[in-house]
Amino acid sequence: MDILAFISPLFVLLAIGGTLVGIIFGAIPGMTATMAVAVCLPVTYSLGLENGLALLLGLYVGGISGGLVPAILLGIPGTPSSITTTLDGHPMAKSGHGEKALRIGICASLVGGLVSLLILDLFAPTLADFAIKFSYVEKFLIILFALSVMAALSSDLLLGIFSGFLGIFISLIGTYDVTKGGNGEWRLIPPGTEYWLESGFSLLPVLIGLFGLAAILDEAETGMKAGMSRKDVRIGQHEKFSLTIFKGQWVNLIRSSCIGTFVGILPGVGGSAASILSYSNAKTFSKNPEKFGKGEPAGIMASEAGNNGLTGGALVPLLSLGIPGDSTTALLIGAFTLQGVQVGPLFIGNNPVTWDAMILAMLIANIAMFVLMYYAIRYFAMVVTVPKCILFPVILMMCVIGAYTINYGIMFDVWTLLIFGVFGWLMAKIRLEVAPFIIGFILGPSAEVYFVKTLESFGDLTIFFTKSWIAVFLWVLIALSVGGSAYLQTKKAK
Amino acid sequence: MGNLTHVTIDFDSSHLIFPALTGCILGLLGLAILIRDRRAILASGAHWRRILGETDKMRFFGTLALTVLYFSAMVPVGDIWPNTGMGFLLCSIPLVALSGLLFMRDRTLRKTVPLMIVAVAAPLLVWWLFTDLFFLTLP
Repeated sequence: MDILAFISPLFVLLAIGGTLVGIIFGAIPGMTATMAVAVCLPVTYSLGLENGLALLLGLYVGGISGGLVPAILLGIPGTPSSITTTLDGHPMAKSGHGEKALRIGICASLVGGLVSLLILDLFAPTLADFAIKFSYVEKFLIILFALSVMAALSSDLLLGIFSGFLGIFISLIGTYDVTKGGNGEWRLIPPGTEYWLESGFSLLPVLIGLFGLAAILDEAETGMKAGMSRKDVRIGQHEKFSLTIFKGQWVNLIRSSCIGTFVGILPGVGGSAASILSYSNAKTFSKNPEKFGKGEPAGIMASEAGNNGLTGGALVPLLSLGIPGDSTTALLIGAFTLQGVQVGPLFIGNNPVTWDAMILAMLIANIAMFVLMYYAIRYFAMVVTVPKCILFPVILMMCVIGAYTINYGIMFDVWTLLIFGVFGWLMAKIRLEVAPFIIGFILGPSAEVYFVKTLESFGDLTIFFTKSWIAVFLWVLIALSVGGSAYLQTKKAK
Repeated sequence: MGNLTHVTIDFDSSHLIFPALTGCILGLLGLAILIRDRRAILASGAHWRRILGETDKMRFFGTLALTVLYFSAMVPVGDIWPNTGMGFLLCSIPLVALSGLLFMRDRTLRKTVPLMIVAVAAPLLVWWLFTDLFFLTLP
C-alpha cells in the first residue's frame, strides 16, 4: 500500500471530522447516518475522490455509532441500527450506570467496525475478481437478486417488489443513453417536460429528497416534538471503567461482528436487522438469557458490535459488484459518480489507490469514533438536547445546496428534491418501501442495458437460465428469497 | 417452445423494450395488490382522514409552503446580483429563521435569539464556504 500517495493531514482531518459530525447526527433521534452523508455530499465536490471518501466514510461510521447515545440515555434509538441497544442500555442508565453502558457500547462498536473492515479487505477483492468473469446475463441476475432480497425483507413482499420495479421504471425516464449502447431516443417523458427530463431525474436530488426532505416533512407532520432537556439525560455518576467486563464475551463480540458484516453484505438489509440478529444470537447462546432486557452488558455488546459490523459489510457488494449494501452506501455511489468513477467488479483493480484510501479512512474513522466517544462521551450525551427547530432548517438549506450543485447549477434538480421529498413522505403512508425503490432507481439503467444487450446478442430468453451455472445458482437464490419470504408472510398472516 | 422464447430486437425501438416490460410488470403487481387489498383500499378514506386528523397541519403545510416559496424566490433574487450566490444567501436567512420559528414549540426570547443567530450565521458560513472556498455556483 503506497500510503504516501494519498494520505495527508487533510485526509486524516476529514476522516476524523466526518466521524465527529456523524456521531452528532447519529446521536440526535430522527437523524441518521444516511442523512449525514446526504447533507455533506456537496462538500466533497471540491475535495477529490480520496479526501471526499474519507469524509463520507467518517460520517458513515460516526453516524452508525452515534445512535447508541440516545438509545442508552433516553431509551430512544438514535438510528434504526441501535434498536436493540435500548433493551439493555436504557435499564443500565436508569439504574445509574449510563456512562458504563455507553463505554461498553463504544468498545463493542470498535470491535464490530474493525472485524468488518478486516472482512471487507479480505473478501471484496476476491469477490470482485470472481465477478469480473460475469457476463451481462449474470450481472442482470445479480441486480434481480438484490431487488428480490430487498423485497423479501420488506414488511410486505408484494409491495416491496412493486417498490423496486417502480424505482426501475422512474429511472428509465429520459434518453436511452448512447454511451451505454442505447439508441439515444427519449421515452416516458411527459409532454412539455422534455427540456428538464431529457436526462431523467438525477440520482443525488432523488436520494437527498427521499432521505433528507422526507425526514423533515415526517418530523413536521408529527409536530416536531420538543427536544430533551439535560434532566432527561441519565448518564449517571462518573465511574471507573475496566475492560474486565469483556471477560468471557469475546465469542459474543466476534460472532456479533461477523453477523453484522454478513447482514451488511446482503443488499439493502440494514442495520436494524444486523443488531436484532446479533442480539437474539447472544441471548440464545448466553448462560443467563433471563438477564437480557434488564441491563445485561452482553446485550449492548452484541447489538453494537452487530450494527458497526454492518459498515464494512455493506461496502463489499458496493465495491465488488456495484450494488449498494444499504441506503448510506447507495449515497456513496453518488460520491463516486460525482468524481466520474464507476463502482463494480473492476473498481478495486483499476483504482488501487482509492481502494487503499477507503480501507485507511475506515480504519481512521473507527479509531476516531472510539477515541472521541470514549473520552468525550459526557459532551456527546448533551447533543441529544440540541433543539430540532434549529437543526432541521439548516439541514433543509444543505439539502438545497446538495441538489443544486450536483449538475453545476440546475434549478430543476432542486425541484426534484422537493418532488421526491414529498414522494418519500407519501411512500410511508401507502406502505411502499424506500430501500427497494432506491436500489431499483440506482440499478434500473444498468439492468436495462444488460437485459437488452443480452437479447440483442442471443435473441432468446432462455439464455437467462442456460448461460452458466452461476445464472442457475442466482435463479435458485432469487426463488429462495422470494419463496421463503412469501412462505413466512403467509404463515404470519395465518 | 423455441419460437416462444425467441426475441428479435429492432435497434431503433430498443429504447422502448425495457420500459414496456417494467410497465407491464408494474401493472400486474398493481393489479395483484388491488385484488389482495381491495377492502383496505376501499376503506382508505378513513385511513387518510386519520392521518390528516393527526397531522400537525400548521407545521406540515407551513414547511411545504416555506419550501416552495424558498425554491421559487431563489432564482429571481439571484438574478438581481448574477453569479454571486446572493439568491441562495438572501433567501436562506429568512427560510432558516421562519422555519425555525415554525418548528419551535415555546417561542420565548431565550430560544428565539440563538435561532436568529444561527439563521444568519449558518447561511453566511455555507455561502462563503461554497462560493469563495469551493468555487461552486449557487443561485
